[in-house]
Amino acid sequence: MQKHMAIKRSRGEVAFSVFNYIFFILLCIIMVYPFWHVIMMSLSSVEATAKGGVFLWPKGFNLDTYAKVFKDPSIWNGYLTTIVVTISGAFFGTLFTATTAYPLSKKDLPFSKTMLLLVLFTMLFSGGMIPGYLLMKNLGLIDNRLSLVLPGLVSAYNVIIMKSFFQSIPESLEESAKIDGATEVTIFWKIILPLSKATIATIALFTAVGYWNDYFSTVLYINTKEKWALQAVLRYMLTNTNQAMQSAGVTVAAATNVTAATIKSASVVIATVPILCVYPFVQKYFVKGVMIGGVKG
Amino acid sequence: MAVSKKAAPESFKTRCQRTWREMVKYRWLYFLLIPGILFFAIFKYVPMYGLKIAFMDYNQYDPSKSLWVGLDQFVKLFSKRSFIPVLRNTVVISLLKLIIGFPIPVILALMMNEMRSLKFKKVSQTLLYLPHFISWVILAGIIMTLLDPDNGLITQVIARLTGERVMVLTSPKWFVPMLIVTDIYKGMGWGTILYFAAISGIDPQLYEAASIDGAGKWKQALNITLPSIIPTIVVCFILNCGNILNAGFDQIFMLYSTHVYDVADIIDTYVYRMGIENADYSFSTAAGMFKSVVAFILIVVVNNIAKKTGNEGLY
Repeated sequence: MQKHMAIKRSRGEVAFSVFNYIFFILLCIIMVYPFWHVIMMSLSSVEATAKGGVFLWPKGFNLDTYAKVFKDPSIWNGYLTTIVVTISGAFFGTLFTATTAYPLSKKDLPFSKTMLLLVLFTMLFSGGMIPGYLLMKNLGLIDNRLSLVLPGLVSAYNVIIMKSFFQSIPESLEESAKIDGATEVTIFWKIILPLSKATIATIALFTAVGYWNDYFSTVLYINTKEKWALQAVLRYMLTNTNQAMQSAGVTVAAATNVTAATIKSASVVIATVPILCVYPFVQKYFVKGVMIGGVKG
Repeated sequence: MAVSKKAAPESFKTRCQRTWREMVKYRWLYFLLIPGILFFAIFKYVPMYGLKIAFMDYNQYDPSKSLWVGLDQFVKLFSKRSFIPVLRNTVVISLLKLIIGFPIPVILALMMNEMRSLKFKKVSQTLLYLPHFISWVILAGIIMTLLDPDNGLITQVIARLTGERVMVLTSPKWFVPMLIVTDIYKGMGWGTILYFAAISGIDPQLYEAASIDGAGKWKQALNITLPSIIPTIVVCFILNCGNILNAGFDQIFMLYSTHVYDVADIIDTYVYRMGIENADYSFSTAAGMFKSVVAFILIVVVNNIAKKTGNEGLY
């Protein structure tokens, strides 16, 4: 009986298992293919992209589009702005998230509960786009790159995650330092932060991705094109391809090996490659991020 | 808060003194809090105070000359012919995203859980999760390439299959389905990993006991795995309900055009156009505030329902 059931079960299981693997293989192909396609488009010749049919490999392989796109200084300016904004934003954002979360993790600190509620409330309610814009205007930060960094520094969500993590650190680790007369700042810096490396790395990475992908702050606050973030430059190239081609030195009438389609795909690739290169190495932190924050703060 | 519960009732004065002593004792913790307090005050609470211009007629050249107009902006908002369709689009798009997109990660996580090969699981997790980190700007670029009316790959495939050249990005009929599909593409990996993490937290003894009782894999998935991740599902559902008026600003902002305003203009894009492009600050703030208030009410109500029905809520 037992044996019979085991065989019967495993037969159904095998069928399902085969289906399952095929399903996920197909799904993985669907996930990756759009990226692959756009890379192949950017490497193909004008005739091939116009006719269509670029599917697995580039047709009429050439690098002319990249040569043109790289001549456009706005891509380089965009990269510079985005790198500076991402690094400073992730550094200060994570630092201030930790300095906010640590005191709030102390239950006997007077008013910590009230402050925590005030932080939580910003998750449920916000002033929205226009008051945020008017605030930046009143602070005189319009067309200043600080406006790309400041508004996104600390998120309530990250503070809550960090606070829960700090609360899981045993009190006893801090006690001995306290007896030695260390202030909370020293304890925070010398004991708490080193113990929280993994959580800090995760939050820093998520903050960094947020800054890297941000185009809307540029749309809202920055006028001068030299100060645009990379994603905003890309957005401009996608939505105003003709102007973008001109600034890359391609006149629409001229018969070059470059078209709107190849320009678009090349700029997409240029903005995506850094993420694709870093992603496999930091992916485990991202998965961890879901696990620490996902279920409940 | 600092008062221990055992102590006899103290007078207000001694309580204040006690709190003050505690605050002095913890002065360095308050010192650490300074940047955080400044940040939340300036960048979160000042804009909330800025919502007052929704009750004004904001004068952008001299804000001090702005007049209070009470609820006029809201009356204008709801009497405007353009806002009701915007509200409808917002709700329709996000409800469709919720109904179609919400179950998919749950199913994927359950299926992934049945895979034996650890390596395969890891690779598919990594690939499924990838689009979550790619901005809508980049994804929009890819979507535009695939759906290009002349030489887009998908356009060509559809043309070959149906003999019809569908211009998805400018077609009021196809634009919203495209939004839903691409939204699922971007988000399903995140959800899958979230549920998968919840599944890995399930006590293996439950499965052992079930298989001794003769429950097959299918029954185990239905009677052990699924019920165990219900709390996670509920929390996600609450979050999604609070987001019902967020139909996906970045996605739509990158992809829409005047051709599809009728079906794709949502509150956020409307606020952007009215506020930033037309500089009608008070009116657009009123539209934005309507959205924030409704979202707040929704999340509180759904959270209470979740708690009343015996589930853990969000807070």
